[in-house]
Amino acid sequence: MPDLKYVGKGVSREDAVDKVSGAARYTHDLAIPGMLHTAIIRSPHASARIVSIQTEGAEALPGVRVVLTGAGLCYRLGLYMQDKCILARDVVRYQGEAVVAVAADTLDIARAACELVDVEYEPIDAVLDPREAMIEGAHLVHPDLGLYEHMEGVFFPKAGTNVAHHQKIRKGSFDEAFGQADVRLTESFYNPPVQHVPMETHATIAQVSPGNRVEIWTSSQSPYTVRHLMSAAFGLPHASIRVHVPYVGGGFGGKAGLGLEPLAYVLSRAAGGRPVKVVATREEEFNTLPSRQGLHSTIEIGCSKDGKIRALKSTYVWDAGAYADYGVNIGRAAAYSGGGPYSIPNCWIDSYVVYTNKIFGTAFRGFGHLEILWGIERAIDMMARKLELDPAEFRRLNLLTEGDTTITGEAFTSGHGSPVGCLDAAAEAIDWESPSTAPSEPHKVRGKGVAMLHKAPAMPTYTSCGVVIKLDEDGGADVLVSGVDYGQGTYTVLRQIAAEELKIPIERAHVTWECDTAFSPYDWQTVASRFAYMGGNAVIQAAADCLRQIREVAAQALDVSPDDIVCEDAVAYVRGKPETRIPYEKLALGYTFPNGNSIGGPVIGHGRFIATGLTHLDSETGQGLPAQYWTYGAHAVEVEVDTETGEIEILKIATALDAGKVLNPKLVVGQVVGGVVQGLGSALWEGFRFDESGRFLNPSFTDYKIPTAKDLPREAKQIFLETPQPGGPYGARGVAEHPMISVPSAIGNALYAALGIEFSQLPLTYERILLRILEEREAGE
Amino acid sequence: MHTVSLRINGNPHTIQVASTTTLLDAIRDHLHLTGTKEGCGIGECGACTVLLDGAPVTACLILAVEVEGASIETIEGEAQSGQLSDLQQAFIDAGAVQCGFCTPGMIMSARALLNANPNPTDEEIVEAIAGNLCRCTGYSAIIDAIKVAAGADGREGPGLREAAAHTEGKAAADA
Amino acid sequence: MPVFSRSCRRDERPAGEKARTPNVRGSFEYIRATTLEEACQLLLEGGGSALAYAGGTDLLVDIRNGIRSPNLLVDIKGIDSLHRLEAGDDGLTIGSVTHLNRIAEHAGLRGRLPALADAALSIATYQLRNRATIGGNLCNASPASDSIPPLLVVGASLRIQGVDGFREVPLDCFCTGVKKTCLEPGELVSEIHVPPTPPGTRTAFLKQQRIRGHDLAVVNLAGALTPRDGLLRIAIGSCTPTPLLLDPIETSGHSIEATAEEAVRRAAENISPIDDVRGSAAYRRAIVPILVRRLVESLMRGGA
Repeated sequence: MPDLKYVGKGVSREDAVDKVSGAARYTHDLAIPGMLHTAIIRSPHASARIVSIQTEGAEALPGVRVVLTGAGLCYRLGLYMQDKCILARDVVRYQGEAVVAVAADTLDIARAACELVDVEYEPIDAVLDPREAMIEGAHLVHPDLGLYEHMEGVFFPKAGTNVAHHQKIRKGSFDEAFGQADVRLTESFYNPPVQHVPMETHATIAQVSPGNRVEIWTSSQSPYTVRHLMSAAFGLPHASIRVHVPYVGGGFGGKAGLGLEPLAYVLSRAAGGRPVKVVATREEEFNTLPSRQGLHSTIEIGCSKDGKIRALKSTYVWDAGAYADYGVNIGRAAAYSGGGPYSIPNCWIDSYVVYTNKIFGTAFRGFGHLEILWGIERAIDMMARKLELDPAEFRRLNLLTEGDTTITGEAFTSGHGSPVGCLDAAAEAIDWESPSTAPSEPHKVRGKGVAMLHKAPAMPTYTSCGVVIKLDEDGGADVLVSGVDYGQGTYTVLRQIAAEELKIPIERAHVTWECDTAFSPYDWQTVASRFAYMGGNAVIQAAADCLRQIREVAAQALDVSPDDIVCEDAVAYVRGKPETRIPYEKLALGYTFPNGNSIGGPVIGHGRFIATGLTHLDSETGQGLPAQYWTYGAHAVEVEVDTETGEIEILKIATALDAGKVLNPKLVVGQVVGGVVQGLGSALWEGFRFDESGRFLNPSFTDYKIPTAKDLPREAKQIFLETPQPGGPYGARGVAEHPMISVPSAIGNALYAALGIEFSQLPLTYERILLRILEEREAGE
Repeated sequence: MHTVSLRINGNPHTIQVASTTTLLDAIRDHLHLTGTKEGCGIGECGACTVLLDGAPVTACLILAVEVEGASIETIEGEAQSGQLSDLQQAFIDAGAVQCGFCTPGMIMSARALLNANPNPTDEEIVEAIAGNLCRCTGYSAIIDAIKVAAGADGREGPGLREAAAHTEGKAAADA
Repeated sequence: MPVFSRSCRRDERPAGEKARTPNVRGSFEYIRATTLEEACQLLLEGGGSALAYAGGTDLLVDIRNGIRSPNLLVDIKGIDSLHRLEAGDDGLTIGSVTHLNRIAEHAGLRGRLPALADAALSIATYQLRNRATIGGNLCNASPASDSIPPLLVVGASLRIQGVDGFREVPLDCFCTGVKKTCLEPGELVSEIHVPPTPPGTRTAFLKQQRIRGHDLAVVNLAGALTPRDGLLRIAIGSCTPTPLLLDPIETSGHSIEATAEEAVRRAAENISPIDDVRGSAAYRRAIVPILVRRLVESLMRGGA
């Protein structure tokens, strides 16, 4: 490959200038003349009938323009499963669910109006544990489940139950292989629900105009999905819905799909077309807006004496909460990923997505993979101990290599990347072969652990991305996309690729920041670690299209064939005759001959990429091809534990990812450093707490703790392998979610090394660690 | 209603506020300076950090009515005459900005630190920004940026935590 | 404390409960008092619906959450006498409106009462400490208050100002229950007095949090050792409705180990921790002995 000028370099973000100067405008910052402000009333009960809602007092308050309840809003929303209402109708299904919305001239008036609304509830049975929700006779969160529209052929809700979806993998014969295994293990694990905690909470502005058109500004990861789902829900033609996405202050999956847009829309419609802004408070971000699903998993592994895995069975019970729209897809993805990055000849997985009367789950960085790999990688470590093998060595014996097939029947090739290479690199980085050095104090102990990770984008088989590149008058380029850069830096990568492919200086290549469905071409959603891959490929194609147009016009101008034209350094010339050069700016809007005749026209290139070769999964066996590409990685960690207080500190953490091609080292290091810290949050501190009646107990930073600058590992390393991904732009594959995925698993494994205690529940709080230490000590006495 | 006169980034302003209007509301809604963000409303996240007579504070827990006569600095005042400050440039160069929502508050906390302590230790930097939550960056690049801006560290990029960019190229399967 | 709850449990609040909306900004008026007398007068006239407003870091959050709904905030930050901070031969005098960073950074205070300086530094964040006041922390009277234990172990008292004059109340009589104090309507705390500590007095403060970043205490404690009489005073927070001051412990003629054992025994006998969202009673019971022992060792050993 020729030397690259921009791709692979640590180019700084162009958007950083706006961000460091306060000029970047997020949806939180936007205001439209005449705009109304919204306050909502949340359910105090986990499960209740709405007996009555008295709104006259609120409606009479001066400045109040709209008061809405669910009664007048007979819509069911959802991408994969249409089970959600805009405001609760007839019943509330989780504590925190939005019941009433008030739009008023000021936020203070809207809030004061909420105090004047009287809602009468009749509490009914609630079901809070998904395992109990699966038992016959349990309270049904959605008695009408059988009537809900859903993505047919992909998801299979069980009418008359709380099971929104059941995904199966059946490869080989588990019972037989497990029965014949020399060493067997069965263990259960738990992940609580957690929240994305984007620093910018959800925010949306909607303005309805005559002809039932609506314009929306929203802090979202998916403008086109917003448009499509609004169209489906409200029966509006797509072209009547215009979605803008300005700067977005973090998403992590929580801003994929629909959020506050339907509510803002119906409020504006009811307000006669006045623009309405809905902004979640931080408490509402925790208590009303979706989370990452909780998971109960049970894993059974059977191995032969030689250390080879013969059989693996997982049962996942996902706590979807009150609505299962994204949850069902996570349940599906978890199943096809449920073997971990290992070669498993007999694999049986049942992944159930189950309704409960709690806050509902949605996409979250990792899309189920952090949750399942907590169980898988802990179980793998436990099995290594049973076999008396080093945990890294046991993994090496079983990691996928060329010639193996995955649990859905996909052939593993060298183009998939190197799981073993990642493991070796991460392990070496923490000096795995040597025992931990002595801790500084006698009551502290240290230990090392490793964990693998893998993930493919969990996306429909038709996922696509379009890109338009238009050349400017000065020969520079504007790239139009509607993937969203909500901090991950993909726009910078696309800018690098555009400059590289168009052969222009990077200072003259720009990705237009705000996306607008009126003129930014379609992109499915910015999730799943697929935007750099698909957008990158589409940019390459769009740039080639621009160059084709340039060569055609230049060829005419210079009276040669287009094949004889070379494009380089923003000029076009006849091969071997650089003196014939015509700069792009003389071609970007067409070319004018000396006598005035003009040819060509504005150069506008388009490119696209659609997922190729993906198939649905067989509903009985799960066999098929769900993955455009897999990204493999490993974490290795050394921890120190204070055995008197349970305090745990991360001494060193190394993360190795097979990125295929590092498109921008500064950005990808940032992704990994940040993802690891977010992973630490899931590992050590984060988890929703509920009381016995399902009331949410920690909806604020006071009691939902995320890592601060004081909570960092002493040392963190980021290692990138580059096994090229066939079909990836420059051989790159996605890495956005992966940095957080197995951080908890690695820490759990290190805790065994430090303490000799197996942990199966997250988070690994100081309290949990200490109480287990004391329990073990007592048991030993 | 109360009339409040104050200086924002050196400029005098007079605004009308209710007793309950917070300084954050006043800055964002009355003065239309939206660089200062609301992240939680209870002083826990630091996104609304501004300097009040030089001291970093969370504007969400200050009433506008009580800052009569005060001098407030917000992110919009960090750049001078259209030129980014060394601190802002250091954030860009170090890769310390991802989604950007915490960035204004982070920079104001750093600004307060460097004003009082031009040569902070690593610990002092961490203490100064510990009240600013960030969900994207993992903080290391931010700490590095502040060190660079302080002139204490001449290295570029995320140097504080070891970033061993170890790459293993494999020849393409078919050239 | 269950992390997630059992199923099928009907919510037992009465049907017909009115929708509560936290996050209302409230509808208070604001007035800035210029003298202590004026402040007390306004508070008295307002009854329970006029509240003293200093740092606001607890009060404004309580208003946001609908826990308190005052009609009037009486800003006392403009009263000069409440900002006194003097360390002298007659002990420490700390104005109630002194903000926590000032307490943490005051050399004279740290020299005399390092436990209080450390406690102040452990509260919240740097930004919040530029606003939160010691008086506010005391009057909030949280069982987990960080400033109360260090002041209890040195026998601090509070000057309480009312419309008719002032009274001095020993700190260990000030808190009467969870978030309750002995303040009467129209009263506010004007000063904290710490009597002169005997030469060689050593104090220390320890706090167990859930995370290294800013956090409320799961358990906090302070100790003071006065070599002259060999007495060790220990106060433990977050384990009783009000911070607990143990009876003084004799150290003269006792080994560190024996003293620690005695301190641990007394602590265990007197604490009554509960399960709450921050920690379980079991965890608190497990770490109190550890922290007490560490406190005793650090005070008696002379280590930093």
